[in-house]
Amino acid sequence: MEQIKTPTGEIIYKDNLQNGLTVFLLPKPGFLRTYAVLSTKYGSIDSSFKAFGKDVVNVPPGIAHFLEHKLFEEEEGNVFERFASFGASVNAFTSHTQTSYLFATIEDWQKALVQLIEFVNKPYLTEDNVEKEKGIIEQELRMYEDHPDQRLHTSVLENLYYQNPVRLDIGGTVESVNQITVDDLLLCYRNFYQPGNMALAIVGAIDPTEALQIIKDNYPEWEHYNGTIERVHPEEPAKVQNSWVEEKLQISRPRYLVGFKHDPIWQGEDLLRQQIIMGLVWRLITGRGSKYFTQLYDANLVDNSFGASFSGDTRFAYSMIGSDTDEPERLHGELTKIINGLKAEKLEPAQVERLKRQLYGRHIASYDSFEYVANRYISHHFDNAPYHLFLDMVQNISPSDLQDAIVNLLDWERSTVSILRPVSFSE
Amino acid sequence: MNFVQRDLAEGVRLHLCETEKFKTLNCKIFIQQNLEKQTATSTALIPLLLRRGSGKFPSTLEIAKELENLYAANFSSDVLKIGERQILELHYQMIDSSLLPEGDTLLERGLETFWDIITNPAGSTEAFIDSYYKQEKQSLKQDLEGLVNEKRSYAIKRAIETMCANEPFGIYKYGEPATLENLKNEDVRLHYGNLLSSCPMDIFLVGRDLDRVAEFIGGLVEKRESKQKLKLPQNVENPEEKVMEENMNMQQAVLIMGYRTNCTYLDDDYYDLVVGNGILGGFAHSKLFMNVREKASLAYYVGSNLEGTKGILLINAGINGDQKEQAMEIIREQISKMKAGEITEHELEQTKQGLISSANAAQDSPAAFIDRNLIGLVNGQLRDSAQVIEAIRNVRKEGVIKAMERLSLDTTYILSPNGQED
Repeated sequence: MEQIKTPTGEIIYKDNLQNGLTVFLLPKPGFLRTYAVLSTKYGSIDSSFKAFGKDVVNVPPGIAHFLEHKLFEEEEGNVFERFASFGASVNAFTSHTQTSYLFATIEDWQKALVQLIEFVNKPYLTEDNVEKEKGIIEQELRMYEDHPDQRLHTSVLENLYYQNPVRLDIGGTVESVNQITVDDLLLCYRNFYQPGNMALAIVGAIDPTEALQIIKDNYPEWEHYNGTIERVHPEEPAKVQNSWVEEKLQISRPRYLVGFKHDPIWQGEDLLRQQIIMGLVWRLITGRGSKYFTQLYDANLVDNSFGASFSGDTRFAYSMIGSDTDEPERLHGELTKIINGLKAEKLEPAQVERLKRQLYGRHIASYDSFEYVANRYISHHFDNAPYHLFLDMVQNISPSDLQDAIVNLLDWERSTVSILRPVSFSE
Repeated sequence: MNFVQRDLAEGVRLHLCETEKFKTLNCKIFIQQNLEKQTATSTALIPLLLRRGSGKFPSTLEIAKELENLYAANFSSDVLKIGERQILELHYQMIDSSLLPEGDTLLERGLETFWDIITNPAGSTEAFIDSYYKQEKQSLKQDLEGLVNEKRSYAIKRAIETMCANEPFGIYKYGEPATLENLKNEDVRLHYGNLLSSCPMDIFLVGRDLDRVAEFIGGLVEKRESKQKLKLPQNVENPEEKVMEENMNMQQAVLIMGYRTNCTYLDDDYYDLVVGNGILGGFAHSKLFMNVREKASLAYYVGSNLEGTKGILLINAGINGDQKEQAMEIIREQISKMKAGEITEHELEQTKQGLISSANAAQDSPAAFIDRNLIGLVNGQLRDSAQVIEAIRNVRKEGVIKAMERLSLDTTYILSPNGQED
């Protein structure tokens, strides 16, 4: 096993199994819990690909998430029950690029590990149980529709992009979910759940040698397609589809969100570096230690919901910034001035230095969160980025790197503003 | 891992947990008072005002700069409601100084900053800075009006208001807009002064080198008298059943069913009820999840929560508005079945295991390890993890059935999409 030293002085053991699976193990002496996550590099945007390396297929949106629900189904009994029998909990989540299955346990991590490997590798899909799931997923999608932040986020992505599947909800739509069949699900499973496309991370009260042995002994032989995965990606124009959209919802006051479309030009270490840089850029504007936050807060244009983010992958990259506000147009005007101002004037080195210090502290503290560490190591592994070098990379970032990113990425010509306004009660 | 208690002053208790397990030092202070209509809104303003500035750091910006310089030290504050108490929470966290490039020179500086923020808010001892006060009053007003934005928590709030309309428990933890309207800056500052000088205060510390930390904090705490008399909630037996439906422009209905349990933390059979709630709706293997979601496909989320100080069990589910009758029927049926003894050995065991696991898991997170003491603080009887685990282990099926038999439905509340009224 390869040993990776973390910035906190801990050791992560990494191994690539013969079947292609990558494993990360971080023992945490003194802790009682163990958290494990088994992920496939397969998310909602992988809806067009060369099936088994041959013909291109298009499957209905929402299928990765549907599959995530269905892997919990078993011929006999139920996965939740099996973990619950010794007090463990099990769950899963799907993102644009990844599907992850996880457990947390105090008792018997060995048994939990065997069960995690087993249920993810044993789909049990029937016409009946696939039909039944549609009702549950429909309720899940409706719940998100009532969620203002979710609605706003989706609206920005839908309008930033023309073709890129990142514009669609991770869960798909009620219509697309209803089209999904057993065959579709199996096709995706057999392409994307091959061990070479997956990674497993465990953090907690484990012995790494024992954990690795359990994985080797229990990971089943993969009987399906085992080869290169070719994802088909539609051409995406540089410009945005709509630059200003508005919607109504039963909320108390308007919400404003602006998204910037970036070219997805980064890979590996560059991608991680860009994520760090944009994280600092957004903190420079939205952080409580930012004079811009103070200025906007004192003008009653933002409240404590003011925040921003950057999302980057090899196939899409975008940023978003927004807040609840009574005056979305005025906030838009002021933000435009602030961002344009930052493009022209020199950044204060002292402020950037403080933000780097803050990031340093946050990063160290994050190693106490088993979930965060395990999920980070996996997603950066899928991105081919050296996450353990995070702090060294932070040290090497200069104010001019931030300024370059502001100039190059925060391009108003490639932005979409989305506003949610309250419906009046008579509507 | 356990807390050791020390009295610091009248009504001020220190709870220390020395451990090298974590990369942070955590300090949480809880100040308790009775939940009352008059003061609830005042208290809710305090967390908002404290972060605006202190004597040494007179603005949000100055506080944030100092916390950034301390390598992401964090100050946060909130208001909690446990039973019929309102609790002001003040939380400070910083990286264990041994892990910082500058070594441990920052520890005292960090604690002093925390103390200045909480005991010396910007302004005078009579009033907060008026512009801050006006802004934060507006901010709380927006927050209260914004409750309707999150349908599930809004529905829970409305259900509790309906259920406990004539009890302090019906008061929302952040107060209400009508009281806020008439509040004055001086009233809130006076109220905060009283909280600091006369309400029970518990200071929890988890981290390394706590003797040094405790000595430093001991030097900061002033002499005081504890005056406020705190009450425990009164029970309501045999409630009259209430049903309430409200409509909104939305996609999904939220169903809340509130039961009186007639049993609280201080009762001998409390852990029977805790296990009973777990079997019913506390986990993904629970009866509600299995029957409402997995078998009938009626919901994405459904579960139950126990408020052990007041003795209320709340069921909540996100469902299709057309299917509310069906969902309510399954929920009632599951409770009747439990009362009739339909609990398998397997359900009992896995629920106990699940509860024991969460009690243990709390030891792996400083904040959770502190927060698990809150119910004991309010009820005047602290229990450590080992005691709780032992009590859960001793629960038998007969006890659970008896505890469930004491449940009576008080309020059914439904928040439905417009136009689905039947």
